[in-house]
Amino acid sequence: MLSRIIIVSASALKGSGPLGAGLVQASRSLHTTSQSLAPVPPLPEKGGKVRHGIFPEEIFQLLYPKTGVTGPYMLGTGLLLYMLSKEIYIINHETFAALSMGAIIFYGAKKFGPGVAAFADKLNEDKVAKAQEVKDVAMASLAQAVEDEKKEQWRAEGRSMIFDAKRNNVAMLLETNYRERLHMVTNEVKRRLDYQIALQDLHRRMEQEHMVKWVEKSVVGSITPQQEKESIAKCITDLKALAKTSQATA
Amino acid sequence: MSGRRVALKALDWVAFAERVPPNQRAMFNALKTRSDAIAAKLTSLPETPAAIDWSYYRGAVAKAGMVDDFEKKFQALQIPEPVDTQTSAISAQEAESNKSAAAYIEGSKARIAGYEAQLSKFQNMIPFDQMTIEDLNDTFPETKLDKVKNPYWPNKPIADL
Repeated sequence: MLSRIIIVSASALKGSGPLGAGLVQASRSLHTTSQSLAPVPPLPEKGGKVRHGIFPEEIFQLLYPKTGVTGPYMLGTGLLLYMLSKEIYIINHETFAALSMGAIIFYGAKKFGPGVAAFADKLNEDKVAKAQEVKDVAMASLAQAVEDEKKEQWRAEGRSMIFDAKRNNVAMLLETNYRERLHMVTNEVKRRLDYQIALQDLHRRMEQEHMVKWVEKSVVGSITPQQEKESIAKCITDLKALAKTSQATA
Repeated sequence: MSGRRVALKALDWVAFAERVPPNQRAMFNALKTRSDAIAAKLTSLPETPAAIDWSYYRGAVAKAGMVDDFEKKFQALQIPEPVDTQTSAISAQEAESNKSAAAYIEGSKARIAGYEAQLSKFQNMIPFDQMTIEDLNDTFPETKLDKVKNPYWPNKPIADL
């Protein structure tokens, strides 16, 4: 990290052109202006690029124009040999301990690093997801509540229909009643006239029957005994004649 | 003596049925069956009764002048129309319901405004992954930890974790 600061200041002094691409990550604009930004812009997702886990990419980019691809490696080897040969760095027991621990740490980080990182990220993401879900549910329910209120208002607009229906009912009942009255009057008048006619018919029939009976009675009464004998004698002679003719034919 | 025809307002029962809320559906059905019964009764009665054949009766009835007398009285008869007592009550009910509906709509609009204010707050807030804890406490005041009441970490009762 310190190396990165040195690089940045060095390039700022040099007025770097071709190093622009390599500095993109490091030059995110925290605290560059005097205004305070709100909301604070998010930190970059990943750290600056490094080679072999420790050496920042900027060194390689810095040396590339002068020394090509192998330049930084040569520099590193040269520095190491210089420190060993001049005994600026002395090899002793601690060196071996450092190398062993370094190896173990390296192995551990390589093996378990991503897993631990994913676990930690997941913890954070769960928190954010929970909050997001709360927000989504709240927004959905609010939108639904607005819709429901609007629907209720629309429903209330139809209230005049009830009263129209009621008024229609009242009008229909009145009209029905009036028609019933008309019909009743007509029927009553008809009934009375028909009664008169029926009465007349009855009279006539009774007179007829009475007359018939009276005629019959007088006819029957007017048959005298003399007439009865004569008619019986005539019947007998007729019967005899008939018997003769029937005997003749049989 | 002809029947008078009061103009019945054509009522769209289907549209009416759509506007009925579910908890009042039973009342609506009752109203509809009653209305239908009344309408059926009305249509079953002819508008004018069958005319009386005066000439036939004049020939048939022997009593002199009776038929003429009946006919004259029949023509002169005016049947009174039934009095309408309910329409004014219905109009009064309607005015009252309009008032209460206006009050309800006012309340509903206020509620909608409240909902929309909250909705806009949710829509305009910064995304969670760009928030700091202070931003969270500003947006949702209920998440603020009371450091005065619970001075030691985790600044909330253990039961609330």
